[in-house]
Amino acid sequence: MSASLLSVSTALSSILLHGVGSILPAPLQGWLTNGNAIDALGILIFGVILLAASMLNTILLIWWERKLLGRFMDRRGAMHVGYAGLLQNFADGFKLFRKDTVRPRDADSMGFFVGPTAYLVTSLVIFAILPISTGWNSGNLPLSLLLAITIFSFAPLFIFISAWSSNNKYSLIGGMRSAAQMIAYEVPILLAIVAVVIVSGTFSLDTIVTEQQNYWYWGPLFLAMVVFVAGMLAEMERIPFDLPEAEAELVEGWNTEYGGMMFAYFMLTDYVRVLLGCFLIVLLFLGGWTMPSWVPSAWTSFPLAGIFWFMLKAYAVFTVFVWIRASLPRVRTDQLLRVGWNRMIPLSLVSIVLAAGLVLAKCVPVFGCLPNLGG
Amino acid sequence: MSEMWINMGPQHPMTHGLWNLRVKIDGEQVLDVDPEMGYLHRGIEKISEDRHYNEVITLMDRCCYVAGMSWEHLYVLAAEQALHVEPPERAEYIRVMSDEFQRIGSHVMWYAAFVQDIGLMTPFLYGMRDRDLVLDLFQSYTGARMTYEYMRVGGVRNDLPPGFIGEARKVCDWLIDRFVEYDQLCLNSDIFHKRCDGLGVMNAQACIDHGITGPMLRSAGVRRDLRKDRPYSAYDRLEFDVAHAEAGDVTARYLVRMEEMRQSVRIIRQSLDWLEHHPGPVLAQELPRWLGAPYAPVGREGYLLKRNYPKGLGFSAIEEPHGEALAYVVNEGSEHPYRVKFRSPVFANVSAARQYLVGYRVADIPPIMGSVDVCVGEVDR
Repeated sequence: MSASLLSVSTALSSILLHGVGSILPAPLQGWLTNGNAIDALGILIFGVILLAASMLNTILLIWWERKLLGRFMDRRGAMHVGYAGLLQNFADGFKLFRKDTVRPRDADSMGFFVGPTAYLVTSLVIFAILPISTGWNSGNLPLSLLLAITIFSFAPLFIFISAWSSNNKYSLIGGMRSAAQMIAYEVPILLAIVAVVIVSGTFSLDTIVTEQQNYWYWGPLFLAMVVFVAGMLAEMERIPFDLPEAEAELVEGWNTEYGGMMFAYFMLTDYVRVLLGCFLIVLLFLGGWTMPSWVPSAWTSFPLAGIFWFMLKAYAVFTVFVWIRASLPRVRTDQLLRVGWNRMIPLSLVSIVLAAGLVLAKCVPVFGCLPNLGG
Repeated sequence: MSEMWINMGPQHPMTHGLWNLRVKIDGEQVLDVDPEMGYLHRGIEKISEDRHYNEVITLMDRCCYVAGMSWEHLYVLAAEQALHVEPPERAEYIRVMSDEFQRIGSHVMWYAAFVQDIGLMTPFLYGMRDRDLVLDLFQSYTGARMTYEYMRVGGVRNDLPPGFIGEARKVCDWLIDRFVEYDQLCLNSDIFHKRCDGLGVMNAQACIDHGITGPMLRSAGVRRDLRKDRPYSAYDRLEFDVAHAEAGDVTARYLVRMEEMRQSVRIIRQSLDWLEHHPGPVLAQELPRWLGAPYAPVGREGYLLKRNYPKGLGFSAIEEPHGEALAYVVNEGSEHPYRVKFRSPVFANVSAARQYLVGYRVADIPPIMGSVDVCVGEVDR
């Protein structure tokens, strides 16, 4: 359980390089089997495994949403490709992959192609920072939370670049809405995170989870969690905050002009960001991979138990998001921004004050003064 | 951002059909709108002049693809007046029942499309699911789900099949329960009220000035319903209330349509009770000889038949799901109508778009236009 993904991939790289080196002449063997080469290949293997795992999870997430939405809507969702439609998303992906990537004549070539690609890449990079279980990645990064949120907030820039370079009025309006929305909701998200940081005393996601070993933060920091989840809904552009791609008035908003693989990039990235949002919520408020002490130890000590519980929590959070999507209409831009600036920011400030109060009252990290909710 | 014109249509998710709404915007603000119609013009009025009286009914189904039955009814009422034909009473009740089922079908379809415009995906599928029951009923006695070709000048084509009344009652009970569900999904949601309250307001005077009819007019507080004010078919023998609201905004139109569906169920139940106990013919016995036949008698016989048949003018006005539809049929003594003219309620409702769209935001256009319930088939004909 404690073997980190990086150490596993480094070991794998070491076996590979030693194997290859043994059939090569000595100088090459020495060059291949020194520490630097093994580390470099190890990081590469780490990245490939992470990429494959996150992509598979994203696709599974889309499948789960389709099935769940289907049930909410009194239908069955994807059924025909694979068992219970499990391979439907692969079929859709291959369809998009086979299609031509058409660029409008007056679109800016650079921005049109770089925008979606950068949007996808910057979102995927965050998976390397988020820990899934103990010592998952390279170790305890001291500022991993800050780094993850920073990369997470690159998105409006790339969305706006792709919208603007499409040279389409719908795209431009959608891109502006998107940028305004994301920037407006960055602030409450960051302030909600400050509450977590005050209580845990660290920016390191590993340490934040370890602090929650005995006590999940959703109880004492309930207000911060509400603000964070609502802000994340806006950041992920899901109903009720999906107006940048409001299909009724803007014809899919900022990705109107995209087709084929470029469109697939956008759709995929949307779900990658949803997955990231769920991960962050689990890490910050739902105790990450830890489980309460009343859970039988047999349930938490099997191999990869940490990853299992982490993913279970993440999918549970996502289920709530799908539930919200199935039951709420979409708000309007000005209403969204008003909620963001006039309600969310004051609420997040209140949550900071509450968190500071908790620390001053010496409730943290002992929480002796509060009933035990999660740990 | 500077002012610019954008086209919402002819291929646009907002339009629900083939028409174009040109919108002048400044940022998110709507400064001017210009609805353009005519993309779906098929010349139905002109084609009708070349068809036998009963063949025009086929075209009426194509007038409005969600309310074919109402348009058939509109035409046969005018044609009967022009040809001096009196339909039997049972046919009148069947027509009323079909009209009201069609109203429910059309309004449920409207509900599905409207909630989808404001981003609610789930009720869209609920609406389509429940509309299917109505279509199943239509299929059971007309054989078709969209283009029924059921009504005839002088009655209806065939009687109801055995067991139909029980099935129809079941559907009514089911629908009444679902209307509660619809309201819960929309009216209990704060976001729904944020999106719909106070939008696209038309007061009573503005509605009357622009010839707006139907649910839009009633939502502004005017209790005008042709089924009450100028009863046709069997409506004077049935009990129902005129749904109305005061606010004249999108929510008011929603409320009016929901209440209309409940009243429709009420009317259907009464007509089913009547139909159950009053068997009889459904097609008039004394029809002009050339009307029922696929081809008119030719030669001297046909000539005399037609020459001796009295000429006439027919006018009818019915409360269609979208508003007041009028028809005018001129019988000059031949097997074809000399002239057929229709008045589409949606055309007037959409033409006033400048009145209820300017000053709102781009994001308000889908809910407002959705609340108008546009059916392009009847606008362009």
